[in-house]
Amino acid sequence: MRCDWRAWTSLNFYKEYIFGFETLVFATLGILSIHEQLVTLQREGKLEIASYDPFKLRSTKSLFGNMLYDGLLMLQSYTVVSSLSLAALSPSDGRGGVYEDLKWKALLCCELPFAQSLDDGLSEHPPVGQCQLLNATKPEFSRNCLDILCWLVGERTNLICNAKSHRAAATASLLTVRPQLVVQMNVLSDEANHAAQCTGEDTAMCSISLHGNDATVSLNISISLNGSTALSPKMQVSTHHLRRPESPVNLHYDVTTEGEVIFRWSDAQPNSDAINYEIRYASNSTLQQWEGMKVKGRSWVSLNELSSGIRYMVQVRCQSHINYWSEWTQPFYFTLDVSYIPAEIFTTQGSEVTVYAVFHNHSWSASKAVWMLNGQVKIPESQYRVINKQVSAVTVTVDEPGFDTLMCCHQWGERFKCIIAYAKIYTEGMFNADITCQSKNSEVDTMSCEWNKSAWAQVRLLYRQYTSMCETISEMEGSEEAEENMECPSGAGDHRECTFKNLSLFSCYKIWLEVEGGHGKVRSFPVYVAPIDYVKPSPPSVLEATTLPNKTLSVSWRRPHLPVYDMQYELHFVALRGMANTQWKVIGPLLEPQAEIQLEESCVQFKVEVRCRRLNGSGYWSDWSMSYTSVVYNRKAPEMGPDFWRAIQEDPVRSVTNVTLIIKQPVLAGDPYSCVEGLVIEHQASGRAVWSNETTLAQFYSFPWRKEAHTVTVISRNALGISTRNRNMTLLHQPKRRCVRSFSAVANSSCVYLSWSLLSDHSVPQSFVIEWLDLKKDPEQDVSLTERLQWVRVQSASRDLFLCRRFYGSEEFTLYPVFVDGEGEPVRCTATRGDPAAYILLLIIAFLSVVLFVTLLMSQNQMRKLMWKDVPNPNNCSWAKGMDFRQIDTIENLFPHSEGLTACPLLLVSESICEVEIIEKTHPVTLEHEKDNEVPIYKSGDKTTTDSALLADSSEPLSLEASTTAATPETSGQSSVTYSTVLLSHQPSLLRKQQESLSSSSDEGNFSANNSDISGSFPGGLWDLENHVCSDSANPRHSSSYNSVEEFSETSDQDYEASESTGVAKDLYYLEVNEEEEEEDEEEIEETQSEQEKNEMVMKVDARPLLEGKNSTAVASNVSHSIPLYLPQFSD
Amino acid sequence: MYFPALLYPCILGMLSLVHGIPIHPDNLKNLVKLQADTIVLRIKDHNDKLKLYPTLLIGDPELYPEIPADKTIQGLGSIMDTLTTFQKVLQRLPKGHVSQIHSDLSTLLGYLKERMTSMHCTSKEPANGRSLDAFLEDNATHHITVGYLALDRLKQFMQKLIVNLDQLKRC
Repeated sequence: MRCDWRAWTSLNFYKEYIFGFETLVFATLGILSIHEQLVTLQREGKLEIASYDPFKLRSTKSLFGNMLYDGLLMLQSYTVVSSLSLAALSPSDGRGGVYEDLKWKALLCCELPFAQSLDDGLSEHPPVGQCQLLNATKPEFSRNCLDILCWLVGERTNLICNAKSHRAAATASLLTVRPQLVVQMNVLSDEANHAAQCTGEDTAMCSISLHGNDATVSLNISISLNGSTALSPKMQVSTHHLRRPESPVNLHYDVTTEGEVIFRWSDAQPNSDAINYEIRYASNSTLQQWEGMKVKGRSWVSLNELSSGIRYMVQVRCQSHINYWSEWTQPFYFTLDVSYIPAEIFTTQGSEVTVYAVFHNHSWSASKAVWMLNGQVKIPESQYRVINKQVSAVTVTVDEPGFDTLMCCHQWGERFKCIIAYAKIYTEGMFNADITCQSKNSEVDTMSCEWNKSAWAQVRLLYRQYTSMCETISEMEGSEEAEENMECPSGAGDHRECTFKNLSLFSCYKIWLEVEGGHGKVRSFPVYVAPIDYVKPSPPSVLEATTLPNKTLSVSWRRPHLPVYDMQYELHFVALRGMANTQWKVIGPLLEPQAEIQLEESCVQFKVEVRCRRLNGSGYWSDWSMSYTSVVYNRKAPEMGPDFWRAIQEDPVRSVTNVTLIIKQPVLAGDPYSCVEGLVIEHQASGRAVWSNETTLAQFYSFPWRKEAHTVTVISRNALGISTRNRNMTLLHQPKRRCVRSFSAVANSSCVYLSWSLLSDHSVPQSFVIEWLDLKKDPEQDVSLTERLQWVRVQSASRDLFLCRRFYGSEEFTLYPVFVDGEGEPVRCTATRGDPAAYILLLIIAFLSVVLFVTLLMSQNQMRKLMWKDVPNPNNCSWAKGMDFRQIDTIENLFPHSEGLTACPLLLVSESICEVEIIEKTHPVTLEHEKDNEVPIYKSGDKTTTDSALLADSSEPLSLEASTTAATPETSGQSSVTYSTVLLSHQPSLLRKQQESLSSSSDEGNFSANNSDISGSFPGGLWDLENHVCSDSANPRHSSSYNSVEEFSETSDQDYEASESTGVAKDLYYLEVNEEEEEEDEEEIEETQSEQEKNEMVMKVDARPLLEGKNSTAVASNVSHSIPLYLPQFSD
Repeated sequence: MYFPALLYPCILGMLSLVHGIPIHPDNLKNLVKLQADTIVLRIKDHNDKLKLYPTLLIGDPELYPEIPADKTIQGLGSIMDTLTTFQKVLQRLPKGHVSQIHSDLSTLLGYLKERMTSMHCTSKEPANGRSLDAFLEDNATHHITVGYLALDRLKQFMQKLIVNLDQLKRC
């Protein structure tokens, strides 16, 4: 029959209930029989508590409670029965008694010679009775019996034994008069050697101290009645059996690598007689709903029905061999999520470590486990092992000493779900913690050390102080192990800093870190720190600096008292004003606490700071000292105040007129011994008192002006006084008097010349002020008017001024005559000047024009000279024999037939157009200008010539130009077309153009026939006016002299362009010298023909014979053989 | 002529009230916001030092209910309740930089406590005190992750508090 914990609880209840009730009731055998049945059933293991209704017992108790006084007999019967029944529940091992319900019980019955004693009252020796510890099953009602009870009180501190005679109860109940029974009890503790004695009538109660230890107590009782005495046999009580067994201890759970959860506990005493255990557990949310189980003979149990993520409370108790149950242990709380096996590992560097993780959450699968090292690095899956569905294992090798953690997480999508537990790995050996130390806040007795170690480690900083130098510590390492390590006062934690206080500067500190686990610790390499090397000294103090008149800055300071080593210093300073460079200037290292620094100017205040450090050895610079502003040394007060001007600005918003004084910086007022340190602005308004304001050396000073007469005086000051010669200014609102007659400004490239004149009938002003706005400063860039305003004061005698600075030329200058009592009416003028670049450009253009003109003139002269010199007289040609070129019909005779274009057969007849003889002899008929080497100049506008003779000679309308073309490289191998262009002389503009083109060609003069850059040249050799003239002078071969290849290659384009640009129809006549003409050229010709309807004649001439003639070698060598070339040939 | 006689008691009465004038609600909101922002930044710095793997998630919101996660804000009482729990957690963590956050949290609690007093709100003890103690005791050896988890949840609560400053006007 199974008995759960509820049944046991009920049983205890009944036992206690019955025990508490037994001294009062249970006088009937009916109850006894029920009880006996229960005991029997329980012994046989068949007890069914559920059928044992306590309410029946309770009613029974009420029923029989009234029978309490039915007599001693009944009571004795109960006692015996009760003892028997309880002894059956609790094994009896006490000598003469039984242990039950944490009490020792015995029944002592003695036979006393009661009657005899009454009869023989004169007997000398009292009669001695006999006592016997009775088996409770055999009560003897005829004798005097005592109920003996012993129990513990307190925490095993006292044992109380009580002996009570049955007579007492009977007397009380029956109200019969009986002789008194005297009970005397002796109690002796064997171990504690304590004894106690107590006496009483019918009852005796003794207490003996046990001092909390288990002991065996001896008990002796004697009873006396009417002079007769009886002694009990020796009784022994073991206090060990009078208490509950102690609860088990060290309740905990382990998880096996298979995922089994095993709870374990230990007995409180090593020699515990616990034989049975019971464990119960409940979830935190369902308290009082316990689940439990009994365990026999072992102190562990496996609980595999627990859920993850639930907080459980578990308790355990034990049962001794006399069936006493201990109290439940204190609750043990736990939550199962992920368990690591082992949770802490100590290993050595390079060893392999295997850690198991058990997923108690059954929705997590070991196949999806992800192991993380220090929460930062994912361990490769190749190092994982799946033990079973819930258990994953990883094997890692830790390479470096120190502390690491392993976390087993569960992959959930792309994320890794982890719980807060992790396994810790301690790897033996020294790790590098990178400890650095430095004093802070300039406290020499304080030093802060920082380290860099994984945030996962809970480290302790330990240190040890040595009185020797750090260099010798390593030699002493072995000898001071006994010395105690000290820990950082700030304690362990995730802090990475420890601050040492009350340092001994010249000691050596050995500092290291320790990471401590449950089974050991690992430590870092120690660092040896001498604070003297790491402590940052305090900055120097009592700094003083003076700017001396000899342009020297004198600085002195006081070194810190501690540390006492020699120091070096560094000083830096910066000017407060007056110097453009406001960067700190550093001076050092300095060995003395003072310095003399040469300056560029005097009277300047400087901000000075100093710092210090150890002179020899390492160490840190101190912080910079407090800033100190140098004092400017003065021997006397300034002599004169600064010059100043004003800017008046209306504030329309507030209806206030503000006056800003623009003060020239008076650093030196007189001599170097009287520097100006500040200004005093003295005001005096009309009708009011004088007041003044002190300012620093500012460039601007503003004050509101009420447009009343207001006199302002600016006074220089220093520590010794104020200036005596000062300038003042009177501001007036009334109309100002006019005294300037004229004011003009003349500007050149970099200077402005200002001049003015005064009206003769006015007094001369005290001075003049000329002001203008600096256009360099952009007003849009928040540059105020006062900063843009420039001014200069001019003496009263001056009437002009040269201002040489950068001007833009559009400045407006204002001349203010300044009188003693105010300003006169200002006069304005604007200095305008041209842009110098424009002037320069104009000059350059003019110069170039002149150069061009001269060049043209010279080239014209040269051309005339060349042409008239080289062109042969056509009259010398054979074909012109007998021709009178002066006659108008000469040309018609020359070209009698239009189809042959007349000249061609002539040329072909001669078979050599180059057979021209140039006769240098002056022909009497030759034009005068030829003789005089004059150059005819044509004006295209009126189509007249300057030379009347030429004009007369040029009445001949025709000018023949023969041209040749050279094949371009693109057309090499192709037949080419050469043209001769016949120009009509009645188009002087065209002729002039052609002449110019020709002239330029001659000037550029690459007449070399072997020039290959003739490609693309327009095949238009020209005979220009000179040819015309030449023809007039009967020298038609003259044209051949121009027929160089280069010449035509250039002139042809120019000619073409000229013909277009003039917009005048060209009368061109092309001489086609090759039938194999390209189509483009044909088209061009056709177009030309269409344009020139009347005067065009095309002469088709095969040029090849010409080209194959003599003197063609020069060109032929450079041009393809197929290229027809026409070279000029001259013949005499 | 009766004015002085009336004026003086009024002035005295006003002066006596001045001492007990609580922080103006708007000022309190500003203070709480500043302090909460400070705590959020400190937590961020602290947790960043762990340099955890980017996809690592320590402690699901449904796990470890002892540390408040995603708590709703319903007036000063709930704020105080949650913050007190966090303060207990921080108290149990090893000293270090967390102590600064703990100090900030105490300051914030001081503001709220004063506000609750001035509004005559009744405060109650946190309900999960015992289980929290047991949780912290069980996980004392894992203070790094416990601290990370607690600070992360505190940060979330602070961020929620910053956008629910109107709840400071309710008990």
